[in-house]
Amino acid sequence: MIRVSGLRKSFEGVTAVEGLDFEVAHGEVLALVGTSGCGKSTTLRMLNRLIEPDAGHIEIDGRDAREVSPDALRRGIGYVIQGVGLFPHWTVAQNIGTVPRLLRWDRARVRARVEELLELFGLEASEYADKYPSELSGGQQQRVGVARAMAAEPAMLLMDEPFGALDPVTRGRLQDEFTAIRRRRGITAILVTHDMDEAFRLADRIAVMDAGQILQIDTPERLLRGPREGFVRQFVGLDDRALRILSLHRVRELSRPAADAPAPNQWVSPDDTLREAASRLIWEAGDSLAVVEEGRVTAEIRAEDIWRTGARGAP
Amino acid sequence: MSRAGLALAALFALFVALVLRPELMSPLLRLVAEPGQVLLYDRQPIRVLVGWHLALVAAAGAVACAVGVLLGVLVTRPAGADFMTLARMISNLGQTFPPIAVLAIAVPLLGFGFEPTFLALCAYGLLPVFENTVAGLRGVPATVREAARGMGLAGAQRLWRVELPLAAPVILTGLRLSTVINIGTATIGSTVGAVGLGEVIIAGLQSGNTAFVLQGALLVALMAICADLALRRIERALTRA
Ligand SMILES: Nc1ncnc2c1ncn2[C@@H]1O[C@H](COP(=O)(O)OP(=O)(O)O)[C@@H](O)[C@H]1O
Ligand SMILES: [Mg+2]
Repeated sequence: MIRVSGLRKSFEGVTAVEGLDFEVAHGEVLALVGTSGCGKSTTLRMLNRLIEPDAGHIEIDGRDAREVSPDALRRGIGYVIQGVGLFPHWTVAQNIGTVPRLLRWDRARVRARVEELLELFGLEASEYADKYPSELSGGQQQRVGVARAMAAEPAMLLMDEPFGALDPVTRGRLQDEFTAIRRRRGITAILVTHDMDEAFRLADRIAVMDAGQILQIDTPERLLRGPREGFVRQFVGLDDRALRILSLHRVRELSRPAADAPAPNQWVSPDDTLREAASRLIWEAGDSLAVVEEGRVTAEIRAEDIWRTGARGAP
Repeated sequence: MSRAGLALAALFALFVALVLRPELMSPLLRLVAEPGQVLLYDRQPIRVLVGWHLALVAAAGAVACAVGVLLGVLVTRPAGADFMTLARMISNLGQTFPPIAVLAIAVPLLGFGFEPTFLALCAYGLLPVFENTVAGLRGVPATVREAARGMGLAGAQRLWRVELPLAAPVILTGLRLSTVINIGTATIGSTVGAVGLGEVIIAGLQSGNTAFVLQGALLVALMAICADLALRRIERALTRA
């Protein structure tokens, strides 16, 4: 759990970040979004004391960050660097094992942890553990970067554009992977991104930053339904907000009982988003869809329920 | 074995053969000798001269390497940045000051022989090592340095585990340049009585014996080429890892 108040930093008289106040609860993912140069990285780097703030207070798991030595603090916080920054002279396994080795875990435990993480990120240990970063694709390098940050089971992760500079397909796959890992392990993280869609997909709450300040911090849905005037409105993008709201909800939230039957041609699964369900309904010009699990119809979802969820003033 | 490896092995074998059996060079030397001249330098066994020559270069290389790397590390630390200009000046001075002038100054202080030559070579070999250490350390990508700090590696751990290993190939290039230069430069030590291959060349110059000059020059050149190839191989091995 992180609590930040009154954080300020300027470089040579130019303010980079000012008056930041926010909290991240245990198990929560907070996204910092904003245009490039708005102070996202600076904020993140103050949390693990790569930069010392000019003013303000940082509390991590109830302790003032200034009371912990910078190196000890950093070993307890996972950090995914903007631009990956793998150690080019170390193998994938050595890279992932960096912090555990600094913490003097014994060899067998480090190896077990490395293999576990490689498996978690879909990289076959026997194939990838001994490769050097230069032998990996961009997506694989970013996976290793995230695995390295998670290696010593840190209480929280700071991720600076962890899926940046990737093609949309790989990016989407890594985002799905991150969500899956979150569901299995629980992750407390601050995720920096300039991509609003990524923030909507991955974060519990989103802080929209501009010119070094947080303009609004809210859940994705509240941000979409009630963005502040000005930059936030512009950055969040209101053209397709109904669809964006639908993509924040799952079919299972609205499903109604239905009679057991074999799966029809068009159907959705309970974990699909309402946006996917809506798309299929529009395509079929229908007013309801079967919800299918393991080849059998288990429920149904109605168009009117979906439209109501996406409407202005919905709860 | 690779082609470069074969070339190195062949040249090294040739060098060893010419050191242990100098007479193998006679047919070549006869081409440049005046009739009736002695072909092969015989005042000292060649292997003794080679031994001292190597010892001189190795000792000076070790010192230049230690001092150059140390200075390079120092000036790239935040606390040592102020020394950058001074260190540059010292090492530039060492390089631009002609070694012969260093000898002229050192002889009255240290006497004749090994010591003044050693000093001149240390000064002369310092610059390439220093400059390459600075370049190598500065060349470590910013993201990698940020990662090392962000993972919680302490200052010394960052230096030993990340920065120096990544800079090593560049530093080694500096050491190679320094060594190759010094193998040649060491010959001037013979003017102040240091035992080495320069003795053969100088004896040839003094007595008008071109065969001596050629014999000495060939051995020095072969030694330099072998050192160059060998150190290049190590560099390449380091870069690959
Ligand atoms: N070490 C630094 N020295 C000087 N200015 C910096 C430094 N780091 C960041 N800045 C400046 O602070 C501002 C915020 O930068 P940054 O936090 O990196 O933005 P973001 O990550 O949102 O793109 C920028 O104007 C940048 O130029
Ligand atoms: Mg940034």
